[in-house]
Amino acid sequence: MTAPDVTTSVPTSMRLLAGLEDAARLDLDDHVRVHGAVDDAVGAGRVDLLDLAEAVRLRGRGGAAFPFARKARAVRDTRGHRLVVGNGSEGEPASRKDAWLMTYAPHLVLDGIELTAAAIGAREARLVVGSPHAAESLVDALDERAGRRLTRRRVRTTVVAVAERFISGESSATVRASEGAPALPVFSLTRTSAGGVNGRPTMVSNVETLAQLALLARLGVGGYAAVGTADEPGTTLLTVHRDGRPAVTEVALGTPLGAVLDRSEVGPGLLVGGYHGSWVPAARFDEVTLSVRGLEAVGAGLGAGLLVPLPPGSCPLAEAAPVVRLMAEESAGQCGPCVHGLAAIADRVEALAASRTSPEQMALLERYRRLVPGRGACGHPDGVVRFVGSLLAAFPTEVTMHQHRGCGRRGRGLLPLSVEP
Amino acid sequence: VKRRERLVVDWTRCDAHGLCHELLPERVQLDDWGYPVVTAGELPQRLRPHAQHAVTACPQLALRLVRVADR
Repeated sequence: MTAPDVTTSVPTSMRLLAGLEDAARLDLDDHVRVHGAVDDAVGAGRVDLLDLAEAVRLRGRGGAAFPFARKARAVRDTRGHRLVVGNGSEGEPASRKDAWLMTYAPHLVLDGIELTAAAIGAREARLVVGSPHAAESLVDALDERAGRRLTRRRVRTTVVAVAERFISGESSATVRASEGAPALPVFSLTRTSAGGVNGRPTMVSNVETLAQLALLARLGVGGYAAVGTADEPGTTLLTVHRDGRPAVTEVALGTPLGAVLDRSEVGPGLLVGGYHGSWVPAARFDEVTLSVRGLEAVGAGLGAGLLVPLPPGSCPLAEAAPVVRLMAEESAGQCGPCVHGLAAIADRVEALAASRTSPEQMALLERYRRLVPGRGACGHPDGVVRFVGSLLAAFPTEVTMHQHRGCGRRGRGLLPLSVEP
Repeated sequence: VKRRERLVVDWTRCDAHGLCHELLPERVQLDDWGYPVVTAGELPQRLRPHAQHAVTACPQLALRLVRVADR
């Protein structure tokens, strides 16, 4: 692995995770000591934070990688009582980064909420949170801030605890949860920016994105863009799995994969992004850089920042099949093509993994993969189809072997199937 | 006035009754489970009356005609 410029960018990239070396929660005093104050010009509103966000091309870190400034301006340009919703409902069984951030650095998220509210003219915010530890930490953090102001904006912020399941992290589901309704996706012809929580213009943003904004308001464009690539400045949080255990880390965007994982840890390949993400075969290891664009080049995406390497001797089909079944079961059950289509796909992937498939079953799998996408209230069916499609594309040798006698390797349950609190 | 419209299904409402296919087979096929597969793109003007009929006939009110620019 030749990456001479990497070693320097790794240590300096700990920005969201600064001060968290021994995993102790940063209370308000710690937070101010580690991160300092928000830049005066931004705090006083003389500099438009959305201009800064546009200058550093800040993209959402919840999965869709949507440009933050564009979404925020769409909300700002509406009339009505605007609202900010912080999405802290990770839903991804293998992902920990958002829960970690909210639990250990809650004030970065709350700074981001206040700054966003100020930028779009909102006075109210909801934080939709899955992890009970994270919810507790945020509620404590709100108490610590009572009577003290870090930013100029006074924002009424409430923490909404939701029972975490895969689809609860979907944007319209967090809006529903903010209304006190079950966290399920909704069909709507109106964008959330125009009509979200109770019909109000709503800025929904992932909690890491909000924390990135809190950094940006302190570092300014130059400081923020001191790490990362020209196209994608800054850092990103990752959940990296090793030996079945997740670890949260932060890297400069554009960091080569080899700086995070050792080539020898990767057997057949790795899962990138999340359970709506993509598989990358080991042969492409050296090509992978960790940014939206870098991952696009290998047919993947940053998604929710998940990296799960499959160790040598493991079978990708046997590891992935239970995830596909879980995703089928995690359907909210609202949309027919998702309910029936994902179950039918899971049946065929399981049969393939168990080497009990046939040419007819493989043809059906092909047919269902074409039939399901774009036919649901949310992106869940499309995400699962992407996961399955990239699995089949990344491991053609294994797929062929499994259509005959199989590869002789059993699943070891390397991909977690439940969200641990 | 020519309206540019397309058909949209509210998947959370659709229960696979299949009337949309009966009334508008030119634009709506059914999948393996009886749910509609709507031809993508703008609805041709000549089919508008049939489409309108399909929209009103849907027992779940799951089928919508929306302006192309709407989404």
